[in-house]
Amino acid sequence: MKRIIVEYEKCDGCKNCCAACMQAHRDTEGTIYDLDLADPKNESRNTILKDADGRYKPLFCRHCDEPECVKSCMSGALTKDPESGHVFYDETRCGSCFMCVMNCSFGVLKPDRVSKSKVVKCDFCVNAGGEPSCVASCPKKAIYVEEV
Amino acid sequence: MKYVIVGVGVAGIEAAREIRKKDTNGDILMISADAQIHSRCMLHKFIAGERDEEGLNFTELDFFEKYRIHWKSGVRAEKIRPDEKEIVLDDGEHVGYDKLLLANGADSFIPPVGELRKASNVYGLRNLTDAQAIVKEAESAKEVLVIGSGLVGLDAAYGLLERGKKLTIVEMAEQILPVQLDAHGAAAYQELFEKAGVRFVLGRKASEAVCEADGKIHKVTLDDGKELACDLLVVAAGVRPSLSGLEGSGIDCERGITVDARMRTSKEDIYAAGDITGRSGIWPNAADQGRVAGRNMCGAESEYTDTYALKNTINFFGLATLCVGRIKPEEGDVIRIKEDRTQYKRVILKDEKVEGVLLQGNIAHAGTWQYLIKNRIDVSKIAKDVFDISYADFYRLNERGEYKWA
Amino acid sequence: MNQCYGCSTCRSADKPLEEFIAGLPMETSHHRVEGQSTKCAFGLQGVCCRLCSNGPCRITPESPRGICGANADTIVTRNLLRAVASGSGCYIHVVENTALNVKNVAKTGGEIKGIDALNRLAGIFGIEEADDHKRAEAVADAVLRDLYLPEYEKMELTKKLAYAPRYEKWKELGILPGGAKSEVFHGVVKCSTNLNSDPVNMLLDCLKLGISTGIYGLVLTNLLNDIVLGEPEIRFAPVGLRVIDPDYINIMITGHQHSMFTFLQNRLTDEDVKEKARKAGAKGFKLVGCTCVGQDLQLRGAHYTEVFDGHAGNNYTSEAILATGGIDAVISEFNCTLPGIEPICDTLKIKQICIDNVAKKANAELKEFDFENRPAVTEEMIDEIVEAYRARRGSVPMNLMKEHGYENTLTGVSEESLKKFLGGSWQPLIDLIVSGDIKGVAGVVGCSNLTAGGHDVLTVDLVKELIAKDIIVLTAGCSSGGIENCGFMIPEAAQYAGPKLRAVCEKLGIPPVLNFGPCLAIGRLEIVATELAEALKVDLPQLPLVLSAAQWLEEQALADGCYGLALGLPLHLGLPPFVTGSKTAVQVLTEDMKKLTGGQVIINGDAKASADILEGIILEKRKGLQI
Repeated sequence: MKRIIVEYEKCDGCKNCCAACMQAHRDTEGTIYDLDLADPKNESRNTILKDADGRYKPLFCRHCDEPECVKSCMSGALTKDPESGHVFYDETRCGSCFMCVMNCSFGVLKPDRVSKSKVVKCDFCVNAGGEPSCVASCPKKAIYVEEV
Repeated sequence: MKYVIVGVGVAGIEAAREIRKKDTNGDILMISADAQIHSRCMLHKFIAGERDEEGLNFTELDFFEKYRIHWKSGVRAEKIRPDEKEIVLDDGEHVGYDKLLLANGADSFIPPVGELRKASNVYGLRNLTDAQAIVKEAESAKEVLVIGSGLVGLDAAYGLLERGKKLTIVEMAEQILPVQLDAHGAAAYQELFEKAGVRFVLGRKASEAVCEADGKIHKVTLDDGKELACDLLVVAAGVRPSLSGLEGSGIDCERGITVDARMRTSKEDIYAAGDITGRSGIWPNAADQGRVAGRNMCGAESEYTDTYALKNTINFFGLATLCVGRIKPEEGDVIRIKEDRTQYKRVILKDEKVEGVLLQGNIAHAGTWQYLIKNRIDVSKIAKDVFDISYADFYRLNERGEYKWA
Repeated sequence: MNQCYGCSTCRSADKPLEEFIAGLPMETSHHRVEGQSTKCAFGLQGVCCRLCSNGPCRITPESPRGICGANADTIVTRNLLRAVASGSGCYIHVVENTALNVKNVAKTGGEIKGIDALNRLAGIFGIEEADDHKRAEAVADAVLRDLYLPEYEKMELTKKLAYAPRYEKWKELGILPGGAKSEVFHGVVKCSTNLNSDPVNMLLDCLKLGISTGIYGLVLTNLLNDIVLGEPEIRFAPVGLRVIDPDYINIMITGHQHSMFTFLQNRLTDEDVKEKARKAGAKGFKLVGCTCVGQDLQLRGAHYTEVFDGHAGNNYTSEAILATGGIDAVISEFNCTLPGIEPICDTLKIKQICIDNVAKKANAELKEFDFENRPAVTEEMIDEIVEAYRARRGSVPMNLMKEHGYENTLTGVSEESLKKFLGGSWQPLIDLIVSGDIKGVAGVVGCSNLTAGGHDVLTVDLVKELIAKDIIVLTAGCSSGGIENCGFMIPEAAQYAGPKLRAVCEKLGIPPVLNFGPCLAIGRLEIVATELAEALKVDLPQLPLVLSAAQWLEEQALADGCYGLALGLPLHLGLPPFVTGSKTAVQVLTEDMKKLTGGQVIINGDAKASADILEGIILEKRKGLQI
């Protein structure tokens, strides 16, 4: 399967990946120039954490081999696609129980900010041809897609 | 090889899926009382009218075809006969097996108070049939009494609120959700339910309930003598493993069916998974037990090891809560609280380890807590406030680019 | 859940304040720190360039030059020069207005409160005009004339005000400034798109801007204000949120231009205006100090005991001051008036008035200071404030913090008042330095920010470390507001000093940290330094004197810092000024500067390590002086 590889040592915390993710998943038309960065609906699926020493640790969905989120999904909304290996989320089936949020021990998942009824989850930019926008936006090439 | 699975809950479904992965040619037969695959965690959405029956399905819509599984629904296993390697169904059919999985769950427990068990307007909320019956009864009922304010009780109330019913919830404890939350966290939900019109009677038990001429209970007397009128009762007082078909089978049972780490019962070739084992009944664990059972039924050796089950999430009216670990403080605990207008967070620390966490209002990126608690991580070693600890402090990637724990 | 806006506020050295802010139902800057905690490293290092449409360009190992070809050195120093030019512009705006005010007061025969200050300045300028008002006008004109010179004509007063050995050094380096306003213009032009690309050339311009900023923006602003507003007098005064007295109509003042408040200040204690307050149900009017203009009022507070209630806190305390509910209006004229006060003013129905167009706040009514029409404008303002008082009191919740701060904080310290306190000469201080009772002097100056450990955290920790090493601390700017609210400016704070400094403080009844007031008073500190150097017959870099702008915040602070470097002083910064992406800039600022001016930049975010470094420098300088 294809996975976004993260070389966290290279991360400079510029959050370009976050902006790109918001842009890729916005529900309005437009470019990165008019992306409304103040609209809470625009949520990034990835984030950049800092460890105790202040080093950046980018948090991206790994589309795990054994995804705990899928295992804990009681509605069938989260599934691991047998072909691509990616974990997809079907908002229409989601029961909003957030067991997946609790069981992703890496803390990748979160409820959506506005309706608190959906899960914000990386879809590998499948609607944009499966080329993750975050990867394209990283100025440090700290993230890239690799066949694993 | 003939695999028979009783129950189409998550344990049964996951077992079947696992068996098919390992044994492409074996016969798989699933038997269930349920006429529909459904997620129990979403029954409130059916009651509320937000979803129809199909909308409760938690697996692939073509599950049985996709995995080439026979399914016999609407029947119960009445007898298990290990020596004959067969089960007897309530329609009289005898079904032989090479490997049998008992995953037929649990039944609502109706306490022996007055004539609760006899009345025709008293329901548990465990199966789709319960939900269907509640919806039907609710058509004519005006006042609903829910006994118990755990997750199931509140689920029922939430669903019926959507149908415009007048609701009262009686709870033995002094707070709602006593197993999941502390008083402060519970009060937030109580307020939301009250705002939606629910009346709570806390610290009280039902002590008497008598059927009237129509076979229904129309009032319940509490232990303080107060009477509550009702046309429909939902009893949410817990569940008991469905052990009814096991008499005479020789399968060892305690609270539920006794199983080892490979989900094997005391009888050869018979396995059990999910609520019927009386172990933790939460979804991910039941699913895990099903997968372990399935693998073992195919001859693989696999153990159910991640047994941690002191965890829950709650979400009503858009207020999400996550609670993992111990809820009740004990002597010697350090309690840390952070609270503002959008969230309430409480951590119980003992000997520098997190023993319990409760997050309400904001549970984003909160999955890490379970790891901290389950693995008894010494958080004093991380130079951060405990609320700021995240996976960043354990960050590691393996050669396949997966996250691992440092 | 409770009413608190957010439970993740940043740390503050002022613990009671930290708790107060964490409990507030409204958002403050302290709440926003967490959400801004992931900083873009390109921005932090100063290697993001947005000067043309090809950008933003950012320097990475794979792309070491922007599209135009600018490398990290060019991008960083260009950004720095922009910031310094802008910061200089701010201070020059302040001195321009201050000089204009002196001129106007003089022309209209207004009160000259500081006749000694006038005479000193006239003496320095060589103005021999017998009439007080004419003399004052001539002083103001001399300053204004210099400010308006073109870039190619050197300002005349520089030589008169600068310490002679420094002046020669600057001349040698070719950094004597032309007209101060033109220098800002020159700096801005220089760092525009595809103009200068020489990092050292641009850094020298920063020093030049530092000189015009320091001598005019800082030193002269103080001295000019002393003429019309009165000179500082040493005294004790209360500080902190305790100063807010809800029985009065309270006006919080923010900014840097004390002279703009004089007329209002006087009117507020006139009987007819007080009667307006009484009619509205209040005992009268009070000004509540905040930011540097509050420090300035505190400094000269001996002249305004009736109307000035005390200094409540620094820039990042302003939101908390408003959140007490006790403030009825904010009058602002400059930075550091945080945009974050606007929603709080809305919520608590606090009237916002801005009297200088450059600092117009979105919410505020603009009532530009107009010397000629000041009686009428002031009257309007007073009436509006009374109206705000009537409308809000009773309907807005009070959340006062009467126990916050300290009652007996030493204030009123200036180059003159301190010398007077020492008996009219610097000799006692020099003796103490020579004997080692005072190991050295540290000016802990500049702003307050929220990111160097938290609100005033590094500043206060550094002060603690320095005084424990018997190094006396002189402060100016928002750092003062934080340090005084943490109790280091009361005589009892002597207990935190090292044994020698403690004995000195206890003998004199003073704290080990002396507050010179607003950031403008960095100019006063530097007068003290110059006079000490003169007395010792050495150049400034030889003094056991260090500067720290531990929690520098803004462009103005960078211009100040350049003055410190031009003076040849070691300058400690808690956070780097967005220059670390350029090896050349770092090399010049931290090392080569020692040879250029004698100064150096020390960047260190750790209080203890910083204090050790600064102590090391002081000891080295003592060795150089053979003391």
